[in-house]
Amino acid sequence: MTTEASSAADSFAELRARSEADWESWQRPIRPRIDIALDTSSISAGAGPVRDAIERESRARTAAVDLGRMVGVGLQWLNPVVAITWPDGTRVLYGPVKPEHAGALLDEATGRVGAAAAITIGTLAGSRPGVPRVFDHPFFSNEVGRRLLARIGYTDPESLEHYVATGGYSAVQRMLTRHQGPEAIRQAMLDAGLTGRGGAYFPAGTKWTFLATAANPERYLVCNADEGDPGAWVNRIILEGDPHLLVEGMIIAAAATGARHGFIYIRAEYPLAQARVKQAIEQATAAGFLGTGVFGSEMDITLEVIRGAGAYVCGEETGLISSVQDGRGMPRVKPPFPAAAGVFMKPTNVNNVETYSTAPLILRNGSEWYRQVGTERNSGTKIFSFSGDIERIGFTELPWGVPLPSVLEACGGMSGGMPLKAIQAGGPLAGYLPARLLSELTLERETFVPHGALVGSGGIVFIGTDTCSVDINATFADFLEDESCGRCTTCHGGNQRMTEIFRRIQLAGGRREDRHNLELVGNTLQYSNCVHGQASPTIMRNTLRFFSDEYEAHVHNGTCEALRCTGFSRYRVVDQTDPRLPRAQAICPTEAITEDAEGYRILDERCIRCGACEELAPRGIALEAAPAGTPVPRERAYGSPGGRQR
Amino acid sequence: MPLETEATAQIRALLDGLKPNDADLLEALHRVQHRYGYVSAEAMRVVGEQLGLATAHVYGATTYYADFRTTPPPQTLIAWCAGAACRLKRSDGILRALEAVLDIRLGEPDPQHRYEITRGQCNGTCELAPMAWVNERVVARITPARAITFARALAAGASTEEALTAFEHSLEGGNP
Repeated sequence: MTTEASSAADSFAELRARSEADWESWQRPIRPRIDIALDTSSISAGAGPVRDAIERESRARTAAVDLGRMVGVGLQWLNPVVAITWPDGTRVLYGPVKPEHAGALLDEATGRVGAAAAITIGTLAGSRPGVPRVFDHPFFSNEVGRRLLARIGYTDPESLEHYVATGGYSAVQRMLTRHQGPEAIRQAMLDAGLTGRGGAYFPAGTKWTFLATAANPERYLVCNADEGDPGAWVNRIILEGDPHLLVEGMIIAAAATGARHGFIYIRAEYPLAQARVKQAIEQATAAGFLGTGVFGSEMDITLEVIRGAGAYVCGEETGLISSVQDGRGMPRVKPPFPAAAGVFMKPTNVNNVETYSTAPLILRNGSEWYRQVGTERNSGTKIFSFSGDIERIGFTELPWGVPLPSVLEACGGMSGGMPLKAIQAGGPLAGYLPARLLSELTLERETFVPHGALVGSGGIVFIGTDTCSVDINATFADFLEDESCGRCTTCHGGNQRMTEIFRRIQLAGGRREDRHNLELVGNTLQYSNCVHGQASPTIMRNTLRFFSDEYEAHVHNGTCEALRCTGFSRYRVVDQTDPRLPRAQAICPTEAITEDAEGYRILDERCIRCGACEELAPRGIALEAAPAGTPVPRERAYGSPGGRQR
Repeated sequence: MPLETEATAQIRALLDGLKPNDADLLEALHRVQHRYGYVSAEAMRVVGEQLGLATAHVYGATTYYADFRTTPPPQTLIAWCAGAACRLKRSDGILRALEAVLDIRLGEPDPQHRYEITRGQCNGTCELAPMAWVNERVVARITPARAITFARALAAGASTEEALTAFEHSLEGGNP
């Protein structure tokens, strides 16, 4: 060991000892501490006013209580959450918390246990009679032990010390001080079977070898944190809740590939994630984990955050690279692959947040350990986020291969007992499968592929029977058109056509030739340069295959069973005795409700089908199927045509 | 030494430390927009000079991204969530209602630049669906009637704060 290395090892040991003491006192504080979950979901649900109320109440009482910070553990329908930790190490989670619960929480914290019984979720540490463990909640029934999410709920996400105390940076420190070579690191990733978590599932070790063997020694790492698929927020959990895990993962990738600089491209919609990762980079730099001669070795590695500005297609790796290097996020044709010509035309490795973040776990615990869960063909775990028409919306970390029916059960089933209609996994490019396939599907790409769909990046949306497949297609086609970079005529033109056709069908203007034309558009789209255009027809194809009857009902029978499409539905006054009809009339934004001697009447040609009247007078007004020829204000049928192709 | 207007000098100061070929264009545009609320033609020129890029190149990048504006922001910017979970909860009706009351279309401000509706993108808070961000503030569990109450307040000249209060009041009172 060189002098630098041995002094670095000493200072790491010192930091670790200090951190362990720090975290120990956080777990067993001298006086009770209330941690408020500060992540995007909790903040959106009102964590800020909750913190203010607790702070105010605590000051007013001069309570012997401290305030701290955490992130939510996945039960997002119970947000905002807080946790109280007592000197004996007991840690209890509460939610949904409102500002008016401040008093009860302070009572609870200061010894009147049971004061906040109504909002008690469960224990995170220690035990309390009559209070269940949080992770015994049925929502987590498919989890097999948290790996990527191990710190979520148990540390302060802004504390380097908490990260170090829980084993953080020990993998990279050991790797560098024991001179574990780049080949050995890459081999460990290959042995573990780690694949790209962004949705393509390419072996990470192989990708790293491409970069490591590139001719040019000036190499870059890029972290794709442009998580744009609607319904997927798995990367956000790591970025906001455990940012050092990503930083450590990128240091490992740098050691394995010879890269000396990394860009972390975080989407514009995640400002808190941007701030937390920036802070983690600063902390790691100050501690000597980033910079020159990290951990006393000869290795140099720096990281920087690039803030995105709102463009879905920057999640495609060549689009992301062109966005980083000064410009529009225009994807380009591959090859050359980023390993040959990436950022500034230099060899570059692009991985997803979860892929990099898994590397420290594998180095620390070994490939064998990593393979202990998952399936033969897909090892390890992945974070998934669940949304749509389900009772419990949130995220969990699951091993590959969990049957989808169990996932839906853990999510509390469909809301209000509505039957499941479809599963939309992996965002707008990945697919739309019918409920009857549920029992065949598992959380594994291989069970989706035979049906022409993908698992994708980890967002799963369960869709109930009150949604229309044609409407779903119009929505996603519109999204794909809006987010097309505009380079390929096949993509911007194809998605425009697809949007127009579905919108026309929604307005009861479907034509016999539409199916043929949609198939034609699909065939053309697949010749686009990048995956955005190529995969754009996926949902449309799934629809024509699995929801053919529903599609045909729109085109040939003039019906939309779900009553979602404006051309096939209308609001009608069904009960003139409903006393709330005057309020319904008053709320109508287009003055479509008139009153005469016979009572209230809705003028179809004015009604924009917004639903406000039915909301206020649910007994008097109902949505029903519209007879053929029912007028609808076409100019107000949708939002604008949109489009990025300027 | 060419003469500089005060505004140019200010923008140049804002871009301090950014350099050509250093992946700094997005950062430069973020800084300008954060300071001024939009990216003006003058700012595009100064950014181009600082980063060694043609103004046209900077313009191309600015207009590519949904978040960068080339006009001053309206008093009230409504980012309507276009995500799937919101759509399942009938967010399309909410958009139509907002458009009707404010007499604007998605992406097009009113002539007085008082309000504008843009597409918001899913950030994984789907438990709050259907939602929107009004001047970056989260507005959760919107219904058509509540959206109309909010928009009518705006159209009648209320400030964003006042309109949001009307919205929240409609939540507490059950119905508007």
